[in-house]
Formats: sequence, C-alpha cells, structure tokens
Amino acid sequence: MTVTAARPSAPPSPQPIVRASPGAAVSGAATVLVGAAGVALGVAAITRPLAALRVGWLLPLAGVSFEVTGTAGLFMVVTGAVAVAAGCYSVGYFRHAKTAMATLSVLPLFVLTMIGVLAASSVTTLLVMWELMALVSLVAVLSDHHHAAVRDAGRWYAGMTQFGFLAILIGLVVLVHSGGSESLSVLAARAGAAPSSTRDAVFVLTFIGFGAKAGLVPLHVWLPRAHPAAPSPVSAVMSAAMVAVGIYGVVRVDLQILGPGPRWWAMVVLAAGALSALYGVLQASVATDLKRLLAYSTTENMGVVAMGLGAGMLLADYGHPVVADVAVTAALLQVVAHAAFKSLAFLAAGSVVAATGQRDLDHLGGLAKAMPVTTICFAVGALGASGLPLGAGFVSEWLLLQSLIHSQPGSGTLLAVVMPIAVGVVALTTGVGVAAMVKAFGVGFLARPRSPGAALASESAPSMLVGMTMAAAACAVLALAPAVVAPALRSVLSATPQAVGVASPHFGVLLRLPGIAGSLSPLLLAAAAVVATLAVAGATAVAGRSRRAQCRAVALWTCGGGPLSERMEYTATSFAEPLQRVFDGVLRPDVDVEVTHVGASRYLVEGVRYRSVIVDAVEVRLYRPLLGAFETWAGWVRRAHSGSVHLYVAYGAVALAVVLAVAR
Amino acid sequence: MRGLIAKMWRTGRVAEPEPALPARARLGGVSQGSLQLRHVDAGSCNGCEIELSGCFSPVYDAERYGTRLVASPRHADGLVVTGVVTRNMASALRDTWAAVAEPKVVVALGDCACDGGVFTDAYGVIGPASSVVPVAVEVRGCPPSPTEIIAGLRTLSGR
Repeated sequence: MTVTAARPSAPPSPQPIVRASPGAAVSGAATVLVGAAGVALGVAAITRPLAALRVGWLLPLAGVSFEVTGTAGLFMVVTGAVAVAAGCYSVGYFRHAKTAMATLSVLPLFVLTMIGVLAASSVTTLLVMWELMALVSLVAVLSDHHHAAVRDAGRWYAGMTQFGFLAILIGLVVLVHSGGSESLSVLAARAGAAPSSTRDAVFVLTFIGFGAKAGLVPLHVWLPRAHPAAPSPVSAVMSAAMVAVGIYGVVRVDLQILGPGPRWWAMVVLAAGALSALYGVLQASVATDLKRLLAYSTTENMGVVAMGLGAGMLLADYGHPVVADVAVTAALLQVVAHAAFKSLAFLAAGSVVAATGQRDLDHLGGLAKAMPVTTICFAVGALGASGLPLGAGFVSEWLLLQSLIHSQPGSGTLLAVVMPIAVGVVALTTGVGVAAMVKAFGVGFLARPRSPGAALASESAPSMLVGMTMAAAACAVLALAPAVVAPALRSVLSATPQAVGVASPHFGVLLRLPGIAGSLSPLLLAAAAVVATLAVAGATAVAGRSRRAQCRAVALWTCGGGPLSERMEYTATSFAEPLQRVFDGVLRPDVDVEVTHVGASRYLVEGVRYRSVIVDAVEVRLYRPLLGAFETWAGWVRRAHSGSVHLYVAYGAVALAVVLAVAR
Repeated sequence: MRGLIAKMWRTGRVAEPEPALPARARLGGVSQGSLQLRHVDAGSCNGCEIELSGCFSPVYDAERYGTRLVASPRHADGLVVTGVVTRNMASALRDTWAAVAEPKVVVALGDCACDGGVFTDAYGVIGPASSVVPVAVEVRGCPPSPTEIIAGLRTLSGR
C-alpha cells in the first residue's frame, strides 16, 4: 500500500443500485433451499444411517452412487448452514445492476456440488463432483472478469485447483487399483492390506490434493487472490465451506480409509498445519486489504485444524487414544466454528465493500455509526477468529491446547519434543491472530472515516443484515453452548480408527475431558464476564455521580497539532508496523521512504511518501522459479511445433514405428 | 548483556549526596511525594533544556525525589516552562496547560521564563511564562544549575 502526505485520491464510487433484481432473489432462494436441504440431510445422517442411492445411468461405466456417512453429515451441516446465510445475504448483495446471470446461477450450483462431494460414496462420483465443484467455483470467482486482477486470481485458482485435482485423481486411482473396488466403504476395509509403499504414495498425493483445497502452506497461494476477487457471498461459501470440504477429504481418505498409518504421516500433517498456522497469521497481521486478511486467516485456521488432526494421529500412534480423541474433536470443532465466524466476517466485509467501494483498511474507518449492524456482526466474527473467550473459536483452541499439553511424560522422545513446540505454535498463532483481528475491526470500523467513500457509507440492505445475523447467531451458539455439535462430533470420532471414540469429551454446561484434569464452562464464563462488566459499569456510574459537578470540558489533546483529524489515526499499516519489523526476516517487506524538500532547503519537508509492499514470500521463492522453469521447458517443446505439415507427418511415422517395434 | 551488568557493578552509585530538603511550597491539592511534569519549550535557547536533562541523569538523579518528566500533559501534575513565551508558542502553551488535569502547577525554569531575561523587549515575544499561565514556582538562573532546579522541584514534591 502507499501513503502520501497529500490527501488520498477519490475512491471508486459504490456501484449503482437498482431496487429489485428478480434474478438475485431467485438465485438467493435457490441457494437457501439447497443449503437447507444439505442441513436436513446432514442432520439425518448424523442421527441414523441413511440408505445408499445409486444412479447407474447417469455416468457411463461407473454410475453415480451416494451415501451420506456420519462424517460427511457434519461437514454437510456446516456447508448447508453457510449456504443458507450466504444465500439470504446474496439477495441484497447482488441487486447491483451489473451482476451477471452466470454469477447468479452458479451460487446454488456451487453449494449443490459441494454437497455432492460430501455425499459421494464411490471414487468416480467423488472425483466428478470434486471437479464440478472446482469449475463452478471458478466461474463464481471470475464474476468481475473485466478487472485484470480478477482474471489473474482466476488463473491462479484454476491452476492450483487443477493441480490438486490431479494429485487426488492419481492417488485415488492407485488406491482403487490396489483395493479392487471403487466404493469408499469397501476401500476402507481393504486399504489396511495394501502394501505400505502404495499407502504412502496415496497418502502423500491425497494430502497434497485435499491440502491445496484447504489452503495449507505452501499450496495456499490461490486463497489470498481468489477471496478478494470473488463476490462476498462466494468468498464466504468458499472460505467457510469449500476449505472445510478439503479438510473432509483429509479426514475421510487419509484418516478413515487409509489410517492408521506410520508415524511420519502424523508428522507431515502436524508440520503442514503448524507452518500454515504461523505463516497465515503472520500474513494476516500485516495485510491491509480486508478480504486478503480474512483469506490468510482462513489459512491460519485450517492450519490449526490440520495441527489437531496431526496431533490426534500422533497421539493415537503412541497409544493415547483418549487424548487423541480430544485433539480430533478440537480439529472438527474448529472446522465448525471457523465456518460460522469466517462466513460472518466475509459477509460483513462484503457489506463494507458494497457500501464504501473500498477493501483497503487504510481507506476505511468510522463505519460504526453509519453501519451499526454490520459493525456488530464483524465484531462477533472477529472475536470468534481471535480465539478469545466468548468467541466461537475459543473452545476448539482450548481443546487443542489441552490435548497438546496432556501427552503423558515418558511416552517417547518425539512426542516430548513435538508437543511443546506445537503448544508454542498455537499460542503464537492465537496471539498474533488477536492483533490481526483487532487491526481489522479497530482500523476498519472505529474512529473517523479515512476516505470520502467511507464517510458516505450507509447500512446495507435488510436481506444482507438477515444473512449476517444468522451467521452471528451461529457464532453465539458455538461460543456459549458448543454441546449442540457433540452428537455430530461423536459420529465422526466413532468412524475414525485413530480416535476410537471410547471416551469422547463430555459436552454439557461443564465441558469435561476424559482422562484429563481439565474442564471448562463457556456458558458460566460468559455469565461471569457479563456480571463482571455490569458490576464495573455500575460501580463507575455510582462513583462518577458525585464527581460530575467538578467535570470540565476541554478539547482532545492532539500534541499541540491543531484540531483532531483522520490523518492522526492509526492506519492498518502503522498498526502492523511493529509486527512487520519483528517478523522482517519471514515477511521480507519492500519498504521505501521518500522525502521531498521545499525548494532549496533541506530542513523543510514538503512531503513524505511511504510505500510498503508485502508479497507472499512463498509465491516469490517457490512458485516464480517453478513457473519460470516450466515456461522455459514449454519453450523447448514449442520448437517441435513449427507448423510444418511434413514434420508432423514425420512425427506420426516415427511414433508408429516405435509402437510397432514395442508391440511386436 | 553480561558486559553491561559487569560495568554497572564496577561503576557503582554515581549520584550526588542528597542535599537538605528545602521548605515545601504551600500549594493546594498538588499531590505530595510525587510530581509528574510535562516540559514545554516556549522559546528557549536550549540552555535550560541541557540543565534539565542533566537533572534526570544518574549524577543528579531527580527521580529519587519523586519528580518525573512525562510524555503527555494528560499524564502530568503540571508543566515545566523554559524560555520566554514567543508568539508562535503561546497558543501551544495555553493548549498544553488546558490539557493538564486539575490540580496543576507551573514551574518557570530560567530567567527568560521568570521575567523575560535578555529577550524582554525582543521582537515576537509575548512575555514571561506568567503572562500566559499562572506560575507557582520560579527557578532563576541563566541557565539554572541542576542543583538549583532540583531544589525548586523539591519544594513541590516535598521529598
């Protein structure tokens, strides 16, 4: 971003709004319906086993078969619930005159394909649905394709998602070949008998593929591009539900079908999670684009989820199934909580973008008065994302820490070394995450507006507010009474071989952990916080009553610099500057300070220009050389395509000769 | 770090011995034992600033008498004004005085702040500090020595 001493230039004005858009209403209603059906199907699958559905004629050779397991049920409820909120929200969001029919029609389809992925019970169905989900979401990302940045984001997204699909395709085909069946339940029973090299290869390939969808480092590069580029309801569904589908893939294939595996699998998952959590939160803390910040926060949260899964695998391998249960529970609860608070945060961010035409935090501010509902909703989402008590993400982070610190001593050197490091990673992630969310909320919504666009903002359409309120309610329920998801978590645990589910955490008013001296009551904690706040407020009011007579009103202290202006406020850049300085070696910012002087005198400064660009270090160090090498290689191949028909006929002749010689 | 600790150990205490406590100025309300001051340079030649910074060095160590310089008038019990009040600084001095919470005092430091000194009738000068804000304690000298400044501050802090 760039700050100059002069006033920022005029922002792009918000898009023109038409009163009613029947297309948006139909699309939103369809999304809500599909989402509600997903929730109903998921709840039904959690409570009792559902009959399998097979449609033989739909796909040649293989047919399509569906069966919703308990594991899929949990993720389906999450996906459906996010879709209901986003669908309701999209009615208001897409009332802009410019919204294309393609965007409107893919939103319900996108949700439908995700439910299809979750319901798939055969490898072919899973792969077909996965690819459909990738294509439909790509169309949704490219909604504003007339911007070059959006097209660039679309290319990155398409590249990464197809790379991931390729990895999953090869991995699952190898698995099907060794298992002799393409039904996932049959494969689960036979995978243990496969040779260990096959299992290792399948694990690596599928973890790469599903990890790319979940946004784990170093396969996260599409997230910070695609999320800001996509319309906000789409970002919300992608970030809250689609990355969760990636996690579903890891849980279903790598834990339930392939597992339990050798120790290094757990280490790979744990390390990828720790790397993602740290890298994601560092980038989020220095991001100035609101949606880019949220996208990096998604990487961070999925990293925490992967840490929980990896810790569960490792603990189970060391023979601590009870603690492993707690770790896997923490990961699943984090998926659910993340879906609630991240969809809320993305919807609120979209509301801000629609009202101000700005995504840059340095040009926002002062929205609390103009957009009170959006502000409260974003605050609820940010509290959940920061993992503090009373937030939706607190219980899962607490469970994860409990599982990490309660590995019994004397279990082994690896566990004794890894677990304290993991505790440190989670603690650092949470701490920096709080800074990132304080920045997003404080700079984005409080104080005075920093640009004309922010100053003229007004509250969003009622349907958008309803969508956000739904997500906020889900956050509140998860924060105060996480017991509601206990049956769903138990159904997943019972299907996971590592975590045997013998003694899953007891959710109630008091959250008890089996075999661990730890308990927590989110509800009582909230009640105590409310009582304490009221007590302090009451005491202050009583004490202040006697003093009010002596009060005098004076101007705010501005260090003698004249009246208070918005240029004296913290910006997102200045707020994150200390963090940027501390993590300079990792983030490698490109900082440039340029001072111009008045006339000939070096002592009088006319203006100071500060420019700081933070690019994704993984992208620069890993992907640019790779892409460069690929381009060089493609250049060599291109020389063979000279356009000469004679040459092509010669290629054909040589190929035929080779085939004849080999097949003789 | 180890070198630093070793040096501190070798150097020991360098503070001057404590002089006798001057008589306490009778000022209503200002807290006893602790005095937080915000320094305002209203147009000084920087001579007083050098002596004032000397007061808070390890040698004179004014903080052992309960006096401290703070970064904002919002944190302060009063102001230390140095130099004659120039036109450009008059409103800043008034604003700073208004920003200090009651009860509050002003210490005029040096001849210029007390009566205008050599700048009395100079161009662009409004007058001594007392022409803009109510001065409670005057410390004379051009510049006053740290010992004199500390004696003046101790009449307020009472320690």
